[in-house]
Amino acid sequence: MSLINNKNSYRVFLLASFIALNILVLYGISSILAYLNEGADRSTMLHLDKETANTYLPKISWKSLENPGREMEKQTLATLEKHYLFSWYIKNNALKNNTDEGIGDYFTENPRKILDTIIKNNKADKISIESTTLTHNPKLEFYSEDGQLVVFTDENVVEFQNIYQDKKLITSVKDTATYKVLMLLEDGFWRIRHCERMAKVTDTLKAETNEKTFIVKGNQILKNNKPFLIKGINYYPKNSAWDMYGDLFNLDTIAADFDIITKAKLNTIRIFVPYEDFGKAEVKTEKLEKLKQVLALSKAKNLAVIVTLFDFYGDYSVNNWTLTQRHAETVVSSCKDFDNIISWDIKNEPDLDFESRGIQNVKPWLSEMIEVVKKAAPNHLVTIGYSNIKASEILKDEVDVVSYHYYEHISLFTDKLKALEKATNKPVVMQEFGMSSNKGFWSWTGNSKEDQAEYHKKMQVIFKEKQLAFVSWTLYDFPKVPDGVAGKWPWIKSKQKQFGFIDYKGKHKPSFLYITN
Amino acid sequence: MIKRKPHIIVLVSIALVLLSVTLLDEKPTTKNAFSCLTTQENFVAGKPIAIEFKGNSENKPQLFIIHSYGRTLLDGVLKNDKIQFNLPKNYALKTGYVSWFLIENNKEKAKGNFQILPNDETKTNLESYLGPPSTLAGDNHYVMFVTIPTDDFDNPKLPNTDVAIKHQFLNSISTDNEKTKDFIAWKNIYAPTKSGIVLISASCNEALTKEFDAVIYPSIATDFTISYKRNHEFADGNQITKLTTSILKDKFGNTVSDGTMVTFILKNKENAILKTFGTTIEGIATGQILHPEKENKYSVKAFVNGISKSNSVEIAYKSINPTIAFSFSKDNRTITVGPIKSFMNQIVPDGIKVNLNIYHKDKLVETITENSNKGKAEFYLSPEFYKEKNYRFEIETLGKIIKTKEINVANQQ
Repeated sequence: MSLINNKNSYRVFLLASFIALNILVLYGISSILAYLNEGADRSTMLHLDKETANTYLPKISWKSLENPGREMEKQTLATLEKHYLFSWYIKNNALKNNTDEGIGDYFTENPRKILDTIIKNNKADKISIESTTLTHNPKLEFYSEDGQLVVFTDENVVEFQNIYQDKKLITSVKDTATYKVLMLLEDGFWRIRHCERMAKVTDTLKAETNEKTFIVKGNQILKNNKPFLIKGINYYPKNSAWDMYGDLFNLDTIAADFDIITKAKLNTIRIFVPYEDFGKAEVKTEKLEKLKQVLALSKAKNLAVIVTLFDFYGDYSVNNWTLTQRHAETVVSSCKDFDNIISWDIKNEPDLDFESRGIQNVKPWLSEMIEVVKKAAPNHLVTIGYSNIKASEILKDEVDVVSYHYYEHISLFTDKLKALEKATNKPVVMQEFGMSSNKGFWSWTGNSKEDQAEYHKKMQVIFKEKQLAFVSWTLYDFPKVPDGVAGKWPWIKSKQKQFGFIDYKGKHKPSFLYITN
Repeated sequence: MIKRKPHIIVLVSIALVLLSVTLLDEKPTTKNAFSCLTTQENFVAGKPIAIEFKGNSENKPQLFIIHSYGRTLLDGVLKNDKIQFNLPKNYALKTGYVSWFLIENNKEKAKGNFQILPNDETKTNLESYLGPPSTLAGDNHYVMFVTIPTDDFDNPKLPNTDVAIKHQFLNSISTDNEKTKDFIAWKNIYAPTKSGIVLISASCNEALTKEFDAVIYPSIATDFTISYKRNHEFADGNQITKLTTSILKDKFGNTVSDGTMVTFILKNKENAILKTFGTTIEGIATGQILHPEKENKYSVKAFVNGISKSNSVEIAYKSINPTIAFSFSKDNRTITVGPIKSFMNQIVPDGIKVNLNIYHKDKLVETITENSNKGKAEFYLSPEFYKEKNYRFEIETLGKIIKTKEINVANQQ
C-alpha cells in the first residue's frame, strides 16, 4: 500500500514539476518576446523643442546685439537664450545630482568630456553643489554669416551655491564672474563649444535716482522729509482673509474698510501678495490689476502701505530662486510708481522656515531678494517682518527698516526692544502684534474681549511714550480662516479668527478704542 | 606654617602651568587667519597648479573652487605649518579665471583668484568653419571663414593671436593676417566676378587647416536672345520647331549654371498662350513646339523666371492647302475622308485630326473627330443614333473645310 502510495506521490511530483517547468519556459519565452517588442517611443527620435517655462528664469538682458558678422534675428536670439540658459540649468543640475543628464544636448563633445570628469570626481568625493545663476548680461560679440556659430560675453553672472559634502552643508558662496561663450548650432541645439570664465567687469550702470517719498534718516522714517511715525494695521477684508484678490474681491468693501481705518486715525496698512495665487513666475495680470487698484485706493484715502510679498511661499530651494525673483521683479516694478508704498516686506516671518527649509537656503534667498526688489523699485524701502524681536537682527544691515512681530508678554517688551535698538540704528517697526479674544468653547483659559482691550491699551501707552511705529493685527475678526494659515485644529483656528478690533458682525470690540494713541 | 608653604608653592606652580598651557592653547585659535602664500596669479594650462596657505590647519580647511566648467571642493595636503591644495588635473587643463574660497568650520576664511592661460608650448589646433560654403559671383557676395585656434588642451588662444588666412583663385593667392578676438579669427572672402572655386586655408603657429573650397556660382542670368529652327514653314501638325536661347550669361560674362530653367511663352493668333520649358546646358536652353495644324502665327518670348527675359520672335506657319477627297459608302452611312494630300502631294502623316460636323436642317448635331491613318479617316453613322433621313456634312482638316450637300442616309433599310 505504502509502495503504491509512494509511486503515486512520485507521479504527482513528476507531473507537477513538468507543469511547473512548462510554465517557466512559457514565461521565459513571453518575457523575451515582450523585451524584443518594447522599444523607444518613436517621438524620441525627434529632437522636439523642450519647454523651458517655469524651470529656470534668471534675469537676462542682452546688452548689445551689434556684431561684425550677421545681423541677429529675433527668433534665433530667443532660441539661443533659451538653450544657453538651459546649459546652465543642466550644469547646475549635474553639479547638484552628479549626473550627466542633458549634458549631451547642450555641450559639444570636448566640454562634455571635461564635465564628465568633473562630475565623476565630485561623485567620488561625495560633493554636491546646489547652485543657481541670478543675472546674466550677455553682449553679442560675433554671429557667423551661416548662422551656425555665435560668441558672446555674459558679463557679471551672479552665481550662488550651497556646497555639501557627505550631505552636510560646508558653506554658501556667492560670486560674480564674466563668461565668454562660443556656441555652435548642431542638430537644432545651440551647444557650448568653449566657455571661459573671466574676471567680472566694473558695472557702468548707475542706480536710478527716483523721487523718493519715504526715506530713512537715522532711526526715523521720513515722508517728504518730515518724520513719519507708522500707526498702522494689518489688513484683510473680513470675508476674504488670506484670499484678498480672489472671487470675493470687491473694491467697495475695501474702500469702506479704508474709511474705518482713516477715521480711526491710522495712517498705514500692511497687505499681502500671495505667491502662488499671483501666478508664481508668470504673474497674472488680473491679480496685479487688483493689487494696483488697492494701492490706488489706499493712496486716495491717504494711507501708506507696507506690501508683504511671498505669502504662502515656502520652497527657497536654490534651483527655484530664479522663478521667485521674476515674480518679485514683475510685482514690484509694476507698482513702483505708487509713492504711498513705504516698504516692500520681502517675506512674512521667514525665520520660522530656517529649520525646515535650511537657513543656508532661506537667508541668502532673502538677501538676494532684497537686491532684486531694490533694483525693481529703487524709490521704495525694503524690510523683512520676522516673527520675534531677536530674529529681526538677521540681515539688519541689508534692510532699510527693521521689522519684527511681537506676540509675547508685554512685560518683556521694553527690555527686548532695548536690545534691538542697541543692535541697530535703523528705524524699527513692530509690524504685527495683537491678542485674540478667543475665550469660549474652544479655549476656557483664553482672553476675553476686555482682556484684549486692556492689552491694546497698555501697548498704546508704551507706543505713545516711546513714539514707536506699530502695525497691529488685525482689523477684523475673520469668520473663516484657511487651513494653510492655522492648520486644521479648530481651537487654533478659533484663536486666529479673533484677533480683530471689529467682530464678525461689524461691531466694534472694546479694543477698538485703543486702536491707536 | 612652614609645612604649608611647599603646598602653596606647588599649587601656585600648578596654576601657573595650567594658565600658561591655556594661554598657549588660545594663541593659535585667536590667530587662525590664513594667509595665502601663492603669489602667482597666472598659471599655464596643463602644468600642476597648487595654492599654499599658512595658518593652523588643524580643522582641515577645504578649498572651494569655481572654474570655467565646474566647481569642486578640495582637501589640502599638510606640510608643517603650511597647507597646500593641488588643483585636479582636469581643472588645470582648462583655461579661465578660477575663484577660490578657503573654508574652515563652514566659514569662509579667505578668498582669491587666479588665471589659467592657454599653453602655447603645446601643439596648436585649428577648428575652422566655412559658411556658407558657396555663393554667387561678384556683387559683394562673400563666404565667411571662421577659425578657432586652440592649444592642445582645446583652450582657445589668447586674444591677438596671429592667424594667417589664405585664399587662392586662379592665379591670385592672397594672405591676410588676422588676430583672434573673442576666441576666433575670421575673414570674409569676397567672391570674384568669375565663377569657379576659391580655396581657403588658415595657419596659426605650426598648425594648418585642411583646404576648404568655396564654390563661386555664376550670378543670375542677364537678358538673352532666342532663335528658332524648323524643317519647313507649313502648318502640318507634325513637324517640330526648336526654340533655342543664346548662351545665358551673368553680368560678369559667366555662363549661367547648368539647369537654369527657361520658360518659353508663345502667344498664337487667337491670343491663346502656350508654354514650353527647357533647362540650360552650357548656358543654352532649348524648347520644342509642334507645328500647328492650320495656318497660324506664334509670337515667342522666353524668361528665366523673375530674373531675365529674351527678345520676342515671330514664327509664321503657312497652310499646306491639302487636297481632300471623300466618298460615301453605298448606304451613305460610312464616310471615308482621304486620301488627304499635303503640299507636295504626299500623303499626310498619320494622326492628323479630321473633324466631321454633322448638320440636320442647318443645326449642328454632332462633331466626330478621327485621326488620319495612311492619309484616310473613316466615319460611320450608326442608324441607332442618326435616325433622320437627311444630313449635311462638313469635313474639316488641316485648316480646310469641305461642305457636302444634303445626303439621304435613311434609304435601303
